[in-house]
Amino acid sequence: MTDAKRPRGNKLSEPEAIERAKQGDAEAFEFLYNLHKRRVYSLCLRMTGNTASAEDLTQEAFLQLFRKIGTFRGESAFSTWLHRMAVNVVLMQLRKKNLPVVPIDETTEGEEEGTIRKELGAPDERLAGSIDRLQLQRAVDELPPGYRTIFVLHDVEGYEHNEIATMVGCSIGNSKSQLHKARIKLRDLLRVNRAEKAGKR
Amino acid sequence: MNCLQFENALSDYLEGAGSSEQQAHLSSCSACSSLLADLNLISAEASSLRESDGPAPHVWTALEAQLRREGLIREASRPLLPDFLLRWKTAWLVPVAAALLIAVGIKLYQAPRIGDNQPLAKNVVPRVPVAPVVSVDDKDILTTVASRPPAQVAAYRNDLDQANAFIRDAQESLKNDPNDIYSQQLLINAYEQKQMLYRLAVDQSDEQ
Repeated sequence: MTDAKRPRGNKLSEPEAIERAKQGDAEAFEFLYNLHKRRVYSLCLRMTGNTASAEDLTQEAFLQLFRKIGTFRGESAFSTWLHRMAVNVVLMQLRKKNLPVVPIDETTEGEEEGTIRKELGAPDERLAGSIDRLQLQRAVDELPPGYRTIFVLHDVEGYEHNEIATMVGCSIGNSKSQLHKARIKLRDLLRVNRAEKAGKR
Repeated sequence: MNCLQFENALSDYLEGAGSSEQQAHLSSCSACSSLLADLNLISAEASSLRESDGPAPHVWTALEAQLRREGLIREASRPLLPDFLLRWKTAWLVPVAAALLIAVGIKLYQAPRIGDNQPLAKNVVPRVPVAPVVSVDDKDILTTVASRPPAQVAAYRNDLDQANAFIRDAQESLKNDPNDIYSQQLLINAYEQKQMLYRLAVDQSDEQ
């Protein structure tokens, strides 16, 4: 696969692969892709809820990475640099499709209050100490796009609210508020899912 | 504090900025306690989704194709000599190569004539003989090196196969165009390489 020579039997390290990728080494590109593909793809999948879109966006993110790799100077970790690029690619795509990156509070606030008030009167039904990962995945996929973006960036990918605010173009307060509502919504979805499964037995 | 007030301030509580009133409410309200526990659980489990999936193989295939189209993957320049020759130490090969080149040069000069009394036309390039300059059976050479460590034997066999492949490729090209000077040179090079391998096999066997 590679078009450049390397000593036989030597494993590539990430810094070596980065330098060789700058020279156009195919094997180095593939090494970096395999090293980071799961993280990037999972991010794209969680934020779009769609496999085909996630694959296209993964390809686009790595394409942009490899086009710009010559400018990488190592000021930040390579994975951080790549991840930011992937997030930007996804957010741009969501904006192109006119999907809300962050929901506008005014349109959703009344709706959420009603949901919460109804819930306060409901019997105590915990999620019982564990969550099935697949169920959580499905619930995240069902979130409205705006909630999904904030939840994925914060709880799944570990970004802080100030970083999210910069990336998506909202205030820190808005980011916190939307995260909270996303978690509430997820709880509802998970409980409904469990109730449906219990009802089928 | 009632449940609605607790809920409205829950976001701050989860960020670590909770009040004593919220704490007091939690200790007495099972619904809010349950809500808090669930939200913490969801947040804690979320990181498990971080690398949960991988893309299908065609994503890399398409990406690689695009990288090549954009010229981001650069072809390495072809070496003048194949890989297997670069691995051998070349110092002692110089006099051997010189002798071989002289022998091949003489062979080329003694090109066959067209007819008994007709000299070659000026613009006709003499043909390179298709038969090897030194016709030694590969099997005999492989027998010579058979007593060496298996890894060496395997490497030698691989190098011989490569040399033979070069010869076949050059011969094939010459079948299509016998006047192709480049293919002629490739064939000369390929035979020289094979001759060197034979020399190595014989000389190293003599040393043992």
